[in-house]
Amino acid sequence: MYVAVKGGEQAIANAHRWLADRRRGDRDRPELEVAQVGDQLRLAVDRVMSEASLYDPELAALAFKQASGDLTEAVFLLRAYRTTLPRLAVSEPLDTASMRIERRISATYKDIPGGQILGPTYDYTHRLLDFLQLAGAEVPAAEIREEVTEAEACPQILELLNDEGLVEQEIDDGSEPADITRDPPDYPMDRAARLQMLARGDEGYLLALGYSTQRGYGRNHPFAGEIRLGQVEVEIHVDEWDETICVGEIALSECQMINQFGGSREAAPQFTRGYGLAFGHNERKTMAMALVDRALRAEELGEPIIGPAQQAEFVLAHADSVDASGFVSHLKLPHYVDFQSELDLLRRLRREHAARQAELDGTRDTASPQQEER
Amino acid sequence: MDKAMTVKTETTRDLVWPGLADPAHDSQRLFRQILGALSEPGTLTTLALPAPPQVAPSDALGAALWGVVLTLCDLETRVWIAADLDSPALREALTFHTGARITDDPASADFALLTHESFDPQTPFAVGSDTYPDRGTTLLVAVERLENDSNGADDADHGWRLSGPGIAESRVLDIGDGAGCRALMTRLAGNRASFPQGLDAIFGCGAQLAAIPRSTRIASVEARADSQETN
Amino acid sequence: MDGYNFAYLDEQTKRMIRRALLKGVAIPGYQVPFGGREMPMPYGWGTGGVQLTASILGAYDILKVIDQGADDTTNAVSIRHFFQRVAGVETTTATTAADVIQTRHRIPETPLRSGQILVFQVPIPEPLRFIEPSEQETRLMHALEEYGVMHVKLYEDIARYGHIATTYAYPVKVDGRYVMDPSPIPKFDNPKLDGNPALMLFGAGREKRLYAIPPYTRVESLDFEDHPFEVQSWEHTCALCGSDHSYLDEVITDDKGGRMFVCSDTDYCQTRRGEVA
Repeated sequence: MYVAVKGGEQAIANAHRWLADRRRGDRDRPELEVAQVGDQLRLAVDRVMSEASLYDPELAALAFKQASGDLTEAVFLLRAYRTTLPRLAVSEPLDTASMRIERRISATYKDIPGGQILGPTYDYTHRLLDFLQLAGAEVPAAEIREEVTEAEACPQILELLNDEGLVEQEIDDGSEPADITRDPPDYPMDRAARLQMLARGDEGYLLALGYSTQRGYGRNHPFAGEIRLGQVEVEIHVDEWDETICVGEIALSECQMINQFGGSREAAPQFTRGYGLAFGHNERKTMAMALVDRALRAEELGEPIIGPAQQAEFVLAHADSVDASGFVSHLKLPHYVDFQSELDLLRRLRREHAARQAELDGTRDTASPQQEER
Repeated sequence: MDKAMTVKTETTRDLVWPGLADPAHDSQRLFRQILGALSEPGTLTTLALPAPPQVAPSDALGAALWGVVLTLCDLETRVWIAADLDSPALREALTFHTGARITDDPASADFALLTHESFDPQTPFAVGSDTYPDRGTTLLVAVERLENDSNGADDADHGWRLSGPGIAESRVLDIGDGAGCRALMTRLAGNRASFPQGLDAIFGCGAQLAAIPRSTRIASVEARADSQETN
Repeated sequence: MDGYNFAYLDEQTKRMIRRALLKGVAIPGYQVPFGGREMPMPYGWGTGGVQLTASILGAYDILKVIDQGADDTTNAVSIRHFFQRVAGVETTTATTAADVIQTRHRIPETPLRSGQILVFQVPIPEPLRFIEPSEQETRLMHALEEYGVMHVKLYEDIARYGHIATTYAYPVKVDGRYVMDPSPIPKFDNPKLDGNPALMLFGAGREKRLYAIPPYTRVESLDFEDHPFEVQSWEHTCALCGSDHSYLDEVITDDKGGRMFVCSDTDYCQTRRGEVA
């Protein structure tokens, strides 16, 4: 006798216990500390913070550990926590020009005021596995020149071009930007809303789309005008005191792309821009974001829309990993009711097809031999 | 003379605009009643909450509409107040309890507080657009009375006959005899022609509440009685 | 639950959803955009329905949660447990005892009554999405009441298969105006949408849309004069309760083609068998 499956609750509880056990791993080894994750796996932590759109290195590290290193899951954990936080204040716009620089490079000029600073980059590492790390070798401390950490703010390269009028100006029109974390998407979106969506978009997705523009699907001739990483002060204005105060510092990555010029009979030709910004050290993300930002300006700049990266609704509606992973993974949920509907129809269509076929065969049997030969 | 006497006998307590004692649970309970009222247009429901102070001109507002304001308004909403309800005390209470922004522009209002007397069909409330019909003003109107005809919908001799979504057959609602009531119902009856654009209305009379969303078909009972007589 | 508001959502978010719900009720079948929030469960797993339920649920409500018609499927168990934890509400499996029913993919067999609220989880709220993927375009089509493409699509099915090949999420027209996706319920359930005394609310969390069918609202399934709408029927009856009129799940019993059919609505089936205390 068939008995309907019961005990879902028990099964779920058991699954959670098993999961926790797997996460802890071999009890003979010390448990990973959240602080170690924050310290030694900081690029993962930065990515989690960026895509979750919450700057909290400790909780991002916790999310990463809790997710057993699954970045998408960690982003989701931190994002879900973010939603429950009250909004205490709105900061002043961050001033990345006054960033305390750790790394700053430009691909457009050999030498720049403030200098090219490589900083802690993987760029020129040879991708050879470092077997010494397997053996647990000590890493000598790096000597950091004081000039770097204490350097005066470096001017932004694109501002230098601005002086000559060679690059389009970004002008703050003072309007209140949309808030994608509270308002439902309303297409077409303005650039402020698009940049917000890209900033928390999945890095892999933006990377692929940005790459596609380089291969000709909506090419926009990019130059890495400037990439900078470092610390930026966050300020809020306190109405009661009528004063702006610094509430802390956050690490940011910023990429300013210089792209092929636009212009018309009325407007002199100028370089255009693409912009990327992310929490922490997230250089690849900001570059990909800048490429896609520029691609999404196709309509505004009067360019033909020929590549997927230029189709705003397509790009933006599918950028969020929390959305995407949720909906893809929901296919794991039971669908037996819908499937039964499809089964029922398919069986009926096949019956009818078989009947028609049989009828057809019948007619053929009674047809003349000549027709048969043909 | 009488007025002066009243003012003297008022205690401060009477002048306090009450908030919700238990915001999470009270607003849930009131919301379900409001949701029920809009889901089944013309049905009456009584909102249980302390009445706002009975001081003119805002005394016409009543407990029900004050309850709607407390339940639905916050810093993300804009409220327009008709002159005959407006008072510094109401504005202060509205800002204090909800944080709602008060606007002079009816077209930008999410909610409009008015009375049947101050209803003017020419006031340019937002009716939404065909692409975003939801972006319209919800009218919160203090009316003369709220009654469903006790004779049953078919035999009603006054009021307005409602039909459409939320109504099994038809339902008769009477909001009063004043010219403003008639103008208001005539305007709401006009929603059909502009659907999906339109005005949604929530009526209050004391603690009693009823609603007519834009999906409701409205016909005057008198008009039908008249036409039957001439037949 | 410590650290979280009643029913998880903060009051500001609930108010935003409540305002949107009232507009949804006022414009039956129209998809109201709302500022959907991330929930502590994945998008696609009922976050829209959960947000709606969280916004309407009161401490004295009795809640029922079903998935595929069943109270004991894992996601139904998970969502029911969520509300027990964050709202402390009483739950039930009995359709008749519930004030609020959250559902995925089914409408209960037991007729609903006035005063009940049925909350649907919706994956893709836009019925025109698979014909026109752009939101800007479909919004315009709804505004202009331009639904010809939907009929063309259904008719292409007829031309190709001899039948309309849509068997679930079968589009309906609400109160003669909006074409609406009833969520992926089998078309077997579509007739229950018409003139139902319960209030029906639909929530799509990821797509940030909600919509409603008020009680006693006219809801028609799209069809053609020469191909009228029809629902599924089975040659079998439920192997457990013998019902010949409920939606049946096919259960494979062995690896030799053995199968049986049982009610997808577990409460209905158990009630018929007199198993419910």
